[in-house]
Amino acid sequence: MTSKRFQIILMTLILTSAIYSFAQDKPSGLEIIQKVYDRPTGNDQDGELTMTLINKRGDERVRIIKQYIKDFGKEEKKIMFFVKPADVKNTSFMSWSYDEQGKDDDQWIYLPALKKVKRISSDSKNDYFMGSDFTYDDLGDRHPTSDSHKILREEKLDGEDCYVVESISKDEDYMYSRTITWIIRDKWIGLKKEFYDEDDDLLKTLSVKNFEKIKEYWIITHSVMHNVQKNHTTDMQLKKLKVDTGISSKKFSERMMKRGI
Amino acid sequence: MKKYLIITISLIILLQSSIAQNIDLSGYVRNYSGMLVGNGSNDFVILQNTFNLNFEKNSSSNAFKVNPMIYTEYGDSLVFRLREAYIDFFFDNFDLRVGKQQIVWGKADGVFITDIVSPKNLFQFLLPDFDEIRQGVYGAKFDYYINDNTFEIVWLPVFSPTIYANPNSIWAVKPNFPMPPIYDYSNTDVNPSLENSEIFVKYSALTTFIDFEIMGGYMWDDDPTMFTSFVPDGSGGMNLLLSPEHKRITLGGGSFSTTLGPFVMRGEAAYYSGKYFNTTTPQFDNGVIQKDYIHYMLGTDFALWDVNISTQFIQKAVMDYDEIIKPTPLFKGEYNNMMTFLARYSMLNETLDLELFSYYDFEYDDALIRPRILYDYSDAVNLQFGANIFTGTEGLFGQYNKNDMIYFKIKYSF
Repeated sequence: MTSKRFQIILMTLILTSAIYSFAQDKPSGLEIIQKVYDRPTGNDQDGELTMTLINKRGDERVRIIKQYIKDFGKEEKKIMFFVKPADVKNTSFMSWSYDEQGKDDDQWIYLPALKKVKRISSDSKNDYFMGSDFTYDDLGDRHPTSDSHKILREEKLDGEDCYVVESISKDEDYMYSRTITWIIRDKWIGLKKEFYDEDDDLLKTLSVKNFEKIKEYWIITHSVMHNVQKNHTTDMQLKKLKVDTGISSKKFSERMMKRGI
Repeated sequence: MKKYLIITISLIILLQSSIAQNIDLSGYVRNYSGMLVGNGSNDFVILQNTFNLNFEKNSSSNAFKVNPMIYTEYGDSLVFRLREAYIDFFFDNFDLRVGKQQIVWGKADGVFITDIVSPKNLFQFLLPDFDEIRQGVYGAKFDYYINDNTFEIVWLPVFSPTIYANPNSIWAVKPNFPMPPIYDYSNTDVNPSLENSEIFVKYSALTTFIDFEIMGGYMWDDDPTMFTSFVPDGSGGMNLLLSPEHKRITLGGGSFSTTLGPFVMRGEAAYYSGKYFNTTTPQFDNGVIQKDYIHYMLGTDFALWDVNISTQFIQKAVMDYDEIIKPTPLFKGEYNNMMTFLARYSMLNETLDLELFSYYDFEYDDALIRPRILYDYSDAVNLQFGANIFTGTEGLFGQYNKNDMIYFKIKYSF
């Protein structure tokens, strides 16, 4: 009897210990998303972004953008120069994003026909970028604390071990009711993401087609966003990518917006 | 015929030279047809083809741009305009641009308050795109940069006045005098000389909180003052003689732009010193009186239900106002209030845009209403269908109340 009781206590201890140990190894949903957010991508980057917009008839429109990004510590600055199509050539866009929670981005656009740099509101993050299927919010680094995160499961996708995390915005007016992201363990790259609309119907699917290790950083270089409701697709590729080349801080200025690439 | 030949040969040489030297070529070809509907005539008053060409080359230390533009109107007339032709020199902390250039200042849209360096070309009133309304000016622009601050000096040795519509055009401004005048243009031109130069200065900053500009200018009034006198007509009567003359004015002003939540707030103001106004008594003091005036704008941009909206309130106030000042479309009284409104909605992945832009003048109760639809048929081809509707019977817009028009544009960009 005593031996049986001892066995039960021992089993309970082993089980508790195993569960505790497992719980210690398995990060929370927030921790996973935080690791994705914190994944280093270098102090600066420059490359050529090619977006191919494909409608349901298969017609294609191509946008080419030269972009520069630099991390200044508590702020990140980005400047984009539009190369194609011809009617937006020499248009440029600059944004300054801040780590400080709640501080809005500063954004400007230079319109060559008007020869004027205009400050624009960063409040319209739900707007689609250049007619693509990416909103400004999709393209930016959404702060992990903006959403509540929950691990749904772990599974393999494209041969990679992934955490599947559901994120629900704390802002009731957010354009997505929820998103589900497949995040590669150890690399902390979102390999796939599903976006659900206000009626909780699937709206868009983002699929990462390629990511590369450049210097010591994992960087996504090819992704496809498919709007399943409109059957419209945006293929986005980052080419001629260079990291940590020491881009001058002067690049991120009104002067350069007007001067161009 | 000789003119066509020279232009054609020049363009061929430029094109061949550009290809040989890897010069960047861009531009557009545009067909523009406009039909009057306001006077019941259904006349095609605009049948225009435009060829706009940009030759550009950039390097880290210098650049150049040449922008010829050719218009052909119905009746086979041909107009050649060199909108810009300049050379840039880039240094570590400063830039210098020399040549014919368009210079745009201020934060107002569609209203010219501190944006007075490049004069206007009103050959089709305010209807062309704003880059076509602005004329290039000959001169030098120097910019000095300290972080996000810019000091700018513009020196213009050659004065360019406002270009008005041909007297036979439907956009011609009718002279408003008690009797038909005769003109003396002997003092109208301003000779290019050091003494007759115009100079403008500006300090601007772009910061995380606010963007602003502070500017000043010593310039010629782009619009000539109509000095009046009476001369014998040879038959015992008198003729009213108008002597258009550009006069010096001085101005100082500034503008700002900032965000307030979802709103972009904009403002712009300028104090004009020494402006001549015509009076209701042409027999005294050459029919003019000199006054200062303030011109300012407050505006906001925001989005409502995915519609981008922009609205501006604009006021001109004449200092020490005198009732003797003759009302004009631009100045009816001591205070002149106007507003603009723009709404734009994009759909079909930004291939189709619906837009409504309008000016409304509170003093004359007149307006220009401009609805239009823009469609990107492809990356290169844009189609545009719109209307220009003039309301009121007098004032800047009401004077054209017979010029209501519908139009269609096809533009191929390359």
